[in-house]
Amino acid sequence: MTSDKTPTASRKAGIAVAKPIRVNLGSFLSRFFLRYGLILTLILVSLFFSIRTQAFASIDNLLDILRAVSILTIVALGVTFSVVVSGFDVSVGAVTGLAVILSTALMVIWGVPWYFAILICLAVGAIIGLLNSFLIIRLRIPDLLATLGVLYLVQGLQMSITKGDAVYKGMTNPWSPTREIAGGAIHPNFLFLGQGFVLSSEAFRGIPVPVVIMAVIALIAFIFLEFSRFGRIFYAVGGNIEAARLAGVDVNKVRMTAYVISSVLATIGGLVLAARIGSGAVKAGDPYLLDAVAATYFGFAVLNARRANVFGTVLGAIFVGVMLNGLTMMNIPWYIQDVIKGLVLIVSLGLSYYTTRR
Amino acid sequence: MAVLKASGLGKVFPGVVALDGVDLELRGGYVHALIGANGAGKSTLIKILTGYYPSYEGRIELNGQLISIHKPSDAFRYGIEVVHQEVDTTLIPYLSIAENLLIEKLATPAEGFFVRKRELHRQARQILQTLQLDMDVDQPVADLSLPQKQLLVIARAISRNASFLILDEPTASLGVSDVERLFTMIRKLKQRGVSFLYVSHRLTEIQEIADDITILRGGKKVAYFNRETFEMSKAIEAMLGAQPGKLFPTRMPITERELVLEVRNLGWGKRLKNISFQAFRGEVLGITGLTGAGKTELLNILAGCEKADHGDIILDGKVVHFRQPKDAIRHGIFLIPEDRRHRGLWIEHSIRTNVTLPFIRDFSYLSFVLPFKEISHVLQIINRLKLVPPNPEMTVKNLSGGNQQKVVIGKWLLQKGRVVLFDEATQGIDIGAKQEVYVLARELAHTSAVIFSSSDVDEVLGLADHVLVMRDGQIVGEFDTQPIDRQQVMELATGAVRTTTAYTTAQEE
Repeated sequence: MTSDKTPTASRKAGIAVAKPIRVNLGSFLSRFFLRYGLILTLILVSLFFSIRTQAFASIDNLLDILRAVSILTIVALGVTFSVVVSGFDVSVGAVTGLAVILSTALMVIWGVPWYFAILICLAVGAIIGLLNSFLIIRLRIPDLLATLGVLYLVQGLQMSITKGDAVYKGMTNPWSPTREIAGGAIHPNFLFLGQGFVLSSEAFRGIPVPVVIMAVIALIAFIFLEFSRFGRIFYAVGGNIEAARLAGVDVNKVRMTAYVISSVLATIGGLVLAARIGSGAVKAGDPYLLDAVAATYFGFAVLNARRANVFGTVLGAIFVGVMLNGLTMMNIPWYIQDVIKGLVLIVSLGLSYYTTRR
Repeated sequence: MAVLKASGLGKVFPGVVALDGVDLELRGGYVHALIGANGAGKSTLIKILTGYYPSYEGRIELNGQLISIHKPSDAFRYGIEVVHQEVDTTLIPYLSIAENLLIEKLATPAEGFFVRKRELHRQARQILQTLQLDMDVDQPVADLSLPQKQLLVIARAISRNASFLILDEPTASLGVSDVERLFTMIRKLKQRGVSFLYVSHRLTEIQEIADDITILRGGKKVAYFNRETFEMSKAIEAMLGAQPGKLFPTRMPITERELVLEVRNLGWGKRLKNISFQAFRGEVLGITGLTGAGKTELLNILAGCEKADHGDIILDGKVVHFRQPKDAIRHGIFLIPEDRRHRGLWIEHSIRTNVTLPFIRDFSYLSFVLPFKEISHVLQIINRLKLVPPNPEMTVKNLSGGNQQKVVIGKWLLQKGRVVLFDEATQGIDIGAKQEVYVLARELAHTSAVIFSSSDVDEVLGLADHVLVMRDGQIVGEFDTQPIDRQQVMELATGAVRTTTAYTTAQEE
């Protein structure tokens, strides 16, 4: 080495070039964990819970977990659409809550047929989506602020429908001057959406209807965003809105559609929630906002996609569900559960972003 | 005078030799130009000198003393500073000129809690005065023009006693008069013993300002010239590594000239006034002028990004109105925009999704994208563009500037356009890629009218059949017979000569 104090760069490179396919175990492992880390963790966590608690591994419990996350998944898919076009919708929790109160109130207080109640709710959801996009696109209010305003608006509306009361069969009609009992009831067909099972047999309890609804919506959303030309256009708007406009995309129409989808999916989530609890609890939708946002951003880390995607969001929601279900079965108190949710989100996103930045 | 001497500089990345045994000497009071195609190793060299890399090959001496530069603060200590092309990244827009100039002072705890504004302004004024810069120190930086910001960044570096200043493509987005101002400043600072490393693609400028010229190719130093030995053709040859073909493609004999686009009396606020011209299929119509002359505005209106206040756009004999770019595209008017990163590309997406987006409907059945149809189309485009690497799934972010520009063009390449608009399409790309862009523009002229707009007068004159010169939102000159007098174009563009009518044909006058 003494004779060659300054080896030129090319000589060193010669070595590197001579062995181009040398498998670097370290980088292979880190790349593997980046792609499959979250999925792997999900499997490991499930295994862990299965061993620790006997009830965890059963098919019924699996379906219970899926049912528990179905509403969250539906709402989170809506959030995913707004994030795909590089927007943000924080009004989804309030919209979910509105659908819970509105649908039940329509049936119980005003005796509206259950299918009309559903249609009215969906229409109201779509109108809220249009309102969001009007504020963001026409008035150019930043998305976070616009949807925050709508969040309060919708929350207030939700309370106003029943003057702040919860909706249940046999409640007093808040709008009646004589405080008489509301005559309507929640139709069993409506309850079926949240409590029913399909494909039941003697040996098998059946698949919960919310799980079916979730699966159908997830499948449609997946095909829409991954395989249709609209998906391309949505991601193009999210990736570079000016380039999309110059490439001939009607970017405002795309953003509007995304916000309407977001609100409508939040409404569907609310309808399933109402059917599941069988009454109209006040502010029942609130917790879904944060969980839905968390699930969407979990999705960023799945397969190292680093963009909002349907598969990731669904997996993210299931992940949250598995954690909570397992922790509950292990008798971890509920107040610790948020701490764990936060840690998992931080670690998975932190790993994904930190390793790719270098 | 300080001398910075680097010898045997090398840097290896996994699988790539970015820089290989390069020697470079920066002498106080001299401008050393560094040129080379994209990927030649220029930015690696800059990064080594500014302490970006903790490790590399070779040695660096300052006045004969071996020094070690392994982190940015090392470079700063030895007086080496770089002024990047994007000056905005180093300035804070809502702070004043004075605050930006003396930002280090403000950040020092010793300065105390309160800002002493009067003292700050006094010092700032002093710095600007010694450089004979006439600026209001209280003005927010956000209000400055790009060339002013650049001069400010240089002034800041000088005020911190930088003796080696690296200018990374300083003129990429400057107009002719701003370039002159920059050169005046450089000459002034040369006399004070400042040494420059001047990185640029523009050979005419280098001929004017540089004392030493080093040319890199593939990470190696392939040629060195001084002021006397420098020859443009040799420099191009060294950069490209082969006998350069002609930089500009041959003009086509105009046999089937067909009027496609006519613009009549177009006006837009104060930015465009009375614009009228015709564009023909089979021809490249060149538009030149300084930055800010209204070229980009004109092209944006033609592409439907903006709406003119009055005037007509007549396409194939019919008046057309565009509400948004979508409408223009439907009529076959395609824009290759200025600022490709922000307006032309999805930097995180693949080549495939970038080039197929505008006409994704053509590769879809019942709204489903057909993968095979899409891929075969993409491969065709990659083939025509000679993209490197020819991998459809490559993320655009990882391509060189020249290849990125080709991806932008690729979006429109195989479509039947009536008019293709190029806006500053060769900005910041190397000479080899430029040549390819010219060829693409010429090829597109077979099937469409091509409008090629650029503030680089030489490329417009070299490429176009027909040239419009713009100044202050007006067309101040029109040339259609070759050869065109460069001097006259420059005079019109800079306003050195006042035209009496909007239309002046060089030869007829």
